[in-house]
Amino acid sequence: MKKSGTLVFNQAAADADPRFVAPDLVALDAKGTPRLIGGRCRKCDAVSFPRAAVCTNCLSEDIETVELAHEGTLYSYSIVHQAPKGWTVPYALGYVDMPSNIRVLAHLDAPADKITVNMPMRLSVGVVGADPSGAPLLSYTFTPV
Amino acid sequence: MREVCVIGTGLVSFGKYPDKTLAEIGWPAVREAIVESGIQPKSIDAVYCGSALGGMLSGQRVMKSLGLTGMSIINIENACSSSSSALAEAWTAVSSGRHDIVVVIGVEKLTKFGGGTLPLENEDWEVNQGMVMPALYAMRARRYMHEYGLTARQLGEVSVKAHEHGALNPNAQIRKRVSIEEVMASRPVADPFTLWHCCPTGDGAAALVIASAEVARQNKADPVRVTASEVTSGVYTNGYRDMTWAELTARGAKEAYEMAGVGPDDIDVAEIHDAFTIAELMYYEAFGFCERGHAYELLSSGATSLGGDICVNPSGGLLSRGHPVGATGAAQAVEIVRQLEGRAGAHQVEGARVGLAHATGGGIAGLDHGACSIHIFAR
Repeated sequence: MKKSGTLVFNQAAADADPRFVAPDLVALDAKGTPRLIGGRCRKCDAVSFPRAAVCTNCLSEDIETVELAHEGTLYSYSIVHQAPKGWTVPYALGYVDMPSNIRVLAHLDAPADKITVNMPMRLSVGVVGADPSGAPLLSYTFTPV
Repeated sequence: MREVCVIGTGLVSFGKYPDKTLAEIGWPAVREAIVESGIQPKSIDAVYCGSALGGMLSGQRVMKSLGLTGMSIINIENACSSSSSALAEAWTAVSSGRHDIVVVIGVEKLTKFGGGTLPLENEDWEVNQGMVMPALYAMRARRYMHEYGLTARQLGEVSVKAHEHGALNPNAQIRKRVSIEEVMASRPVADPFTLWHCCPTGDGAAALVIASAEVARQNKADPVRVTASEVTSGVYTNGYRDMTWAELTARGAKEAYEMAGVGPDDIDVAEIHDAFTIAELMYYEAFGFCERGHAYELLSSGATSLGGDICVNPSGGLLSRGHPVGATGAAQAVEIVRQLEGRAGAHQVEGARVGLAHATGGGIAGLDHGACSIHIFAR
């Protein structure tokens, strides 16, 4: 993946720790703050997440890698009690609306009774499950601001 | 375009058949439909078989059990709309004049997965973050509750109605009435859904024989006509989407109504895709049975129950009849045809003349649903 700005893409971290669920989608900046990695079309400015290989607005393949805002608003959520093997149930899952017309599905790192529709959320990283050996699986998550 | 009719129907009660093969589940439905139609089996021009998870050549595996092969057999995968999409292809084949007599099959065996939520594609980035089908619908429900003040208990009444109907249907997977207290007290699946808010998984099959009106009228005086047949796909966005509005279904409904020359007030009976309780309420609105935000009022008025003006899911729907994914669309069509022919039995909608069947689904990131297929039938 193309490197940009101050971001240290976590390919190395992912290589060192293969237990990250989707290493291409998240990176840590210089301060260690997680940022989502998206794409922006250089032709029409449409923003994608995950980064699209081809612009779904204009079909251009000229897509630059960009970091997305790390705060958004919770559109909706559910506390999931039944899921395939590997996920630690129950877990809170939600859609967070970010700027640039991006909606992100993520685990929510908060007690079920503290989650409400439309609450402001901030990107975080947390344990979301376990791999077949029982080792923790990490992913980006959202935490109430 | 030629007029298209249904001349035969077959259905295997939905349930759990772990010891049967897919073909063993499927052939009795096809045999029943062929026998009912009165056609010579050799006159079948083509077979369209819908199955979501049945594997390669489902249609050939079913048809060879009956010794009926050699014709064109096309297998169709479109998630929950697989066999309704097969029906749409069959409709097109007959309507266009390419074929006169076509068999539609829906067949599925979900017990091979051993239970739990439907297996989704791990290539999907949302599935990789823990998306499961109940959670997707639950988030629709949560947002709808936020915007319209619906309560989880009110939502649960959809399940009570579904099982009132299903208890009357000998072909339903769950033939048991449930009280609202039982719905609320059952184990949580994806908040606000408890188990009774979710359709069961299982196995099953359904089949139809479709024919041109000319052929149909050689066998039946007043066959059920298929007056609208359409398939649409969800509109992709990675951005914001109003999850309280079933855009895909609403778009398909508009097209289907135009094709059939009818409106929501003309529908006497509907089999709609109530995979989870919230779905039925959202589809009332998408089909124009009521205004947005008023679905619960329609449900609680009794209008969508047996005896009401627009009976929805007299079979018990997905919640009670069951939902062996690829078999559902064909089973809905069988149900509507039998309703219009006045032979649905204890869950008959009296005097039904116009009915619709609606199968939609497919969990895929960025789309409302993957596919939606709607058919309107009239007699």
